[in-house]
Amino acid sequence: MTDVVKDKKIVAVKGTSLWKDGLRRLKHRKFAMVCLVIILAYFAVTAFVYVAEFFNWQIRAVMWTEEVGPSYQPPDVKYVFGTDIFGQSVLRKTIYGAKTSITVALCASLISILIGVPLGAIAGYFRGVVDEIIVWIYSTLSSIPYILLILAFAVVLRDRTLFGFRLTGMVTVYLAIGLTSWVGICRLIRGEIIKHKDREYVLAARSYGSSNARIIFKQLLPNVFHLVIIDFSLRFVSFIHAEVILSFLGLGEADKPSWGAMINDARIELARGVWWQMAAATVAIFFISLALNIFGDALRDSLDPKLRMQ
Amino acid sequence: MGENNEILLSVKGLSTHFYTEQGKAKAVQQVGFSIKKGKTFALVGESGCGKSVTALSIMKLVPYPPGKIVSGEIIFRGKDLRSLSGKQMRQIRGDRIAMIFQEPMTSLNPVFTVGNQIIEVLKLHQKKTSAQARADAIEVLDKVGIADPAQRVDEYPHQMSGGMRQRVMIAMAVSCEPDLLIADEPTTALDVTIQAQILDLMDGLQKQNNMSIFLITHDLGVVAERADDVAVMYASGIVETADAKTLFAEPLHPYTQGLLKSLPSLGFKGQRLNTIAGSVANPLDFPKGCKFHPRCPLGITDRRCQSKEPELKEVSDGHFVACFKAAGYEE
Amino acid sequence: MTAYIIRRLFYTVPIVAGVLLLTFVLFNLVGGDISLEIAGKNATQETIDEIRHEYGLDKPLFLSLDSQFVNHFKNALVFDFGRARDREPVIDKIKRGIAPSLSITVPMFFGVVFISVSLALLVAFVRGSAWDSLTLFICVAGMSIPYLSFILFGQYFFAYKWGFFPIYYTPGLSLYEYAALPVLIGIVTGIGSNLRFYRTVMLDEMKSDYVRTAFAKGLSTRKVLFKHVLKNAMIPIITRVVLAIPYLFLGSLLLERFFGIPGLGYLMIEAIGSRDYFIINAMTYISAILFVLFNLTTDICYALVDPRVSLD
Repeated sequence: MTDVVKDKKIVAVKGTSLWKDGLRRLKHRKFAMVCLVIILAYFAVTAFVYVAEFFNWQIRAVMWTEEVGPSYQPPDVKYVFGTDIFGQSVLRKTIYGAKTSITVALCASLISILIGVPLGAIAGYFRGVVDEIIVWIYSTLSSIPYILLILAFAVVLRDRTLFGFRLTGMVTVYLAIGLTSWVGICRLIRGEIIKHKDREYVLAARSYGSSNARIIFKQLLPNVFHLVIIDFSLRFVSFIHAEVILSFLGLGEADKPSWGAMINDARIELARGVWWQMAAATVAIFFISLALNIFGDALRDSLDPKLRMQ
Repeated sequence: MGENNEILLSVKGLSTHFYTEQGKAKAVQQVGFSIKKGKTFALVGESGCGKSVTALSIMKLVPYPPGKIVSGEIIFRGKDLRSLSGKQMRQIRGDRIAMIFQEPMTSLNPVFTVGNQIIEVLKLHQKKTSAQARADAIEVLDKVGIADPAQRVDEYPHQMSGGMRQRVMIAMAVSCEPDLLIADEPTTALDVTIQAQILDLMDGLQKQNNMSIFLITHDLGVVAERADDVAVMYASGIVETADAKTLFAEPLHPYTQGLLKSLPSLGFKGQRLNTIAGSVANPLDFPKGCKFHPRCPLGITDRRCQSKEPELKEVSDGHFVACFKAAGYEE
Repeated sequence: MTAYIIRRLFYTVPIVAGVLLLTFVLFNLVGGDISLEIAGKNATQETIDEIRHEYGLDKPLFLSLDSQFVNHFKNALVFDFGRARDREPVIDKIKRGIAPSLSITVPMFFGVVFISVSLALLVAFVRGSAWDSLTLFICVAGMSIPYLSFILFGQYFFAYKWGFFPIYYTPGLSLYEYAALPVLIGIVTGIGSNLRFYRTVMLDEMKSDYVRTAFAKGLSTRKVLFKHVLKNAMIPIITRVVLAIPYLFLGSLLLERFFGIPGLGYLMIEAIGSRDYFIINAMTYISAILFVLFNLTTDICYALVDPRVSLD
């Protein structure tokens, strides 16, 4: 809208989208940005480990199997995080453990989003019988305590052959966590879609002949997507912690290092005064959890439409 | 006697800033006005100009963080409210100065009965027994025009209509017969038919108790009908103030003129509504010089308006304006 | 009110049925034929068949009145959970495990709720200040440390090294002795996420319009918090608290395992190790029922606390 007054033009202020505005606000939160750097660092380490394994690079940092020193050497200048019972470097194990834990969290997140978002969208959009069924499914799942559910799935899926795939170790863990964790995001999406589906822009889209699928994908989901991101960042933490507990219960790959296994080993090690494996894993988990929590909160505040300035 | 009797509340040089993550928002800058006893003073302006913050500042209810009163005097009955302790201020709130808000739906606590909330004010400021307070509550509900007050007193806010809820708010506010009632957009959230009733109610109470009303609104129609004195606010400052008759008859500030011109009138047919070009100034980033100049037909190209801020000056008896181009304005 | 309760109970039936369906699918279908496992490596076909008959595994899966599917539901209805791997009736094991579990979870529960809510109120007082930020940071930091690490840490220092508490449960110990350390650890780990939640609830309420009105009436912060905010905050607080109650009966899996406390949590962990489907099945069913019942209780509490809620 422009208006000419004498020789000058007055132009209306350009509006900004929720994302642009949110990202701008987010950038101002220095603390959150630091956390983002930490998170990216962890992902970078994970990616690095994958690449190194794939190309078989012989980089010391990744060769956790190598015996670097005597058994149970406490941390000092030479062995920064100490060694474990086999003389392997705890530092290298911690680095490798990042790969394990982050992969678990990523896969589980992926599975739960891939199940939860579509189901939530369908339930919320179509309502009626479809909605009732989906709600029944997730109400049933959520009536069972989370841990119990994961364990039940994990125990049953362990060493089974499902549809021709042999389920071993980590895949069991991914599936167990993923299949039980989609309920939260499903509920969230369903609730939001229900709120949005009677809004004017949806009616408008329908009035010019948009198909249901189009409406869901192009109109509704983009409007609720920010919730998925926030949920993802906060849930990621719970998955990392879940891996620890599952490790303790004997699930997962026993022959590759993981933070959970390292903490689990401490049960025996502590009595012998060996604290550094547990400390290393705990510290590693601590920083990524903290960073994700703070970043997730900052993200939520930044994307909160009620706090927008323009 | 004399001066002090006439003026109930006098605000001088009030400035309130908000410290947000995007910077310092100067919501209210150097605002000053006086409210006379028993009269209605209206503060008009667009959304976001700082009217509500001004009202909250008088009550010292500006949320901190992020807001803070940084300067000014608020002289109420001879005392500067800014110098009062927390306890002293609490004694004044609800008792000598009361405030009602825009959204009656959410301004009442949903889990307590209406009577409970009125009795709370009475017992806080007046030493009454529960029985006395309850009787008073019923009486004041009756005064604000609620039918069946003895029954309504035990009802919950969600059981009442918007108009009734606002009456309850008013009842709560006037139950201790305050000297000043601050009303922040009291009718904006209500139906047009109810609006008139609420305003009539407030007028009636004013006459009964010789109560001053500080009315905040963006509705010029309401101002024309009910206000004795008016101040026009733009972008954190007062740009013009006068008694209502004079303001409507001879608006001096281009912004006031623009506001009045943009009122649709019944006589005109087929013409576009007049608007004031541009949009509301951003409190984080006010224009240099006169804050209105980018939207002002007179000031947009004037060098003085672009660089200097005009002060609020008296141009004729009781009529103040802050504009270099205003008739009678001497720098 | 009664009509509402009955209607809600009605709705719980499909949920419980769903849970039974899930356990059936998991344990009888996907889980496969466990008679082989029970029989052991070198069992003869005869033994295997005997076992199958005893556990009813030789019956058809679905299609008869006496099928495994139907029996699954029938048994659940009468709470007949059969025998565990070691032949002891599951019910007996469960009955034995309840008391030890509750002796840990109940004190934990009260401790966490009391401390979290009180601290949340305190924090609401000083909102926006450095104390507030510090508290929040401590909560988040606490939530970032793996639960296992807390337990190990606590057990190592307070029991093993400094000897304040016994490391393991032994039958002769008094309640205080064996429960003190686990309860302490449980409370410390529990405060983090709860305090954060209650703090958010309080602060959200503080931002409401009715709080602004209350201040405008001249009420002090203390009165506003304890009268106005608290009653409104009760609604989400009660929800969370009541929904935590079913978990009390399950016992704390990890704490019991680490401290050797013979409760239901320990029972379940053993069941998982020995793939004792019968126990896991029973526990899943019971917890589902508890869960569903307490959900209903929450809704009733809602109606009692919030006058806006009407139960038709």
